[in-house]
Amino acid sequence: SGELSCSLPNPRNVHFESVNMKNVLRWSAPEGAGDGVLYRVKYSVYGVGRWIRKPECRNINTTWCDLSSETSDYEEQYYASVKAFLNGMCSDWTETTRFNPLTDTKIDPPTVSVSSTEKSISITLTAPEKWTRDPEGESVSLLHVYPGLQYNVSVLNRKTKKRWFFSISNNTLVVPWLEPETAYCVSAQIHVSTPLLHSGFSKEHCVATLKDQTTK
Amino acid sequence: LGSKVLHLGHCRVSLSSPEIRAGFNAIKANIQARDPIRTLSILSHPHSLHKVKSSDRCCITHHLLDFYMDKVFRHCKTEDPFIDRRISSIANSFLSARRKLEQCHLQNQCACGQESREKLTQVLANYAALNVTSAAIKSLGELDILLDWVEK
Repeated sequence: SGELSCSLPNPRNVHFESVNMKNVLRWSAPEGAGDGVLYRVKYSVYGVGRWIRKPECRNINTTWCDLSSETSDYEEQYYASVKAFLNGMCSDWTETTRFNPLTDTKIDPPTVSVSSTEKSISITLTAPEKWTRDPEGESVSLLHVYPGLQYNVSVLNRKTKKRWFFSISNNTLVVPWLEPETAYCVSAQIHVSTPLLHSGFSKEHCVATLKDQTTK
Repeated sequence: LGSKVLHLGHCRVSLSSPEIRAGFNAIKANIQARDPIRTLSILSHPHSLHKVKSSDRCCITHHLLDFYMDKVFRHCKTEDPFIDRRISSIANSFLSARRKLEQCHLQNQCACGQESREKLTQVLANYAALNVTSAAIKSLGELDILLDWVEK
């Protein structure tokens, strides 16, 4: 009969990889399976429990499947599962642990823009946007998802190597009383206290303060 | 790790939620792995906590703290001392928050509306659908659902 025998080893390390709530299911091929393995994916909302197949990830040969759309309600929690097929054999369904988008996502650093006057620099920070189904549509900042979101800002005087740290809630910061004609480098990180999340620090943005017009 | 002040209508309660979260995160995978039932949630189905009106937040928080103290923590004894220690530390944090909320409740500042009663009845019904140990472990595994809602 056409009955499949499920003696194929299972996919391994089935897990969600989430950045800014773009939630991608990833896994590794079954041990020793070689080429030609195909996969099917299903997911379920915790507490509802009905498994839902993901048609776009039926008989795929990649080891990832984007479930961002299916897991976009971050007030819910989810499970996902993968099954492997090869030469008329299959594996068991292999599940993730329970996925909570709100606590299990990673957050990108903020974008930083800096301008300067003679003795001060102005820093503007922008939190990343939550993944959205329609890139053309209205975007939602992670600030909306995490109202307690704060920024840790580092400012380095490149001449003296002196560094300051600031922790701010709003997204602009003016650093006064600086030295004219001096390069300052700014880097920033996002910090959420509950649930406890933080991004890496952004790339450094350097700007020079202007020449002091009062000294002739 | 500090505390977070919960604004529940007229009541203010500080909850050491970062500490509770840290304790829960340390045991989350283990506890949730002991709960094989996907088709039932104690807290979030059929109606999500997030749909609760703000006027009912105080009553539901008060009764859910009671629920965890009376029906969950005491039934979650495991064979792992590390996990048991984390559970008792979380329970202690709940205990102090419950005491504070109790005083506010006694001053009639934490009234229960119809929706609260329905939601709490649902939670107890979901709990009763399982044997006590399974229901307690499942409830403990949903602590992040409670914290996500309480901290909103």
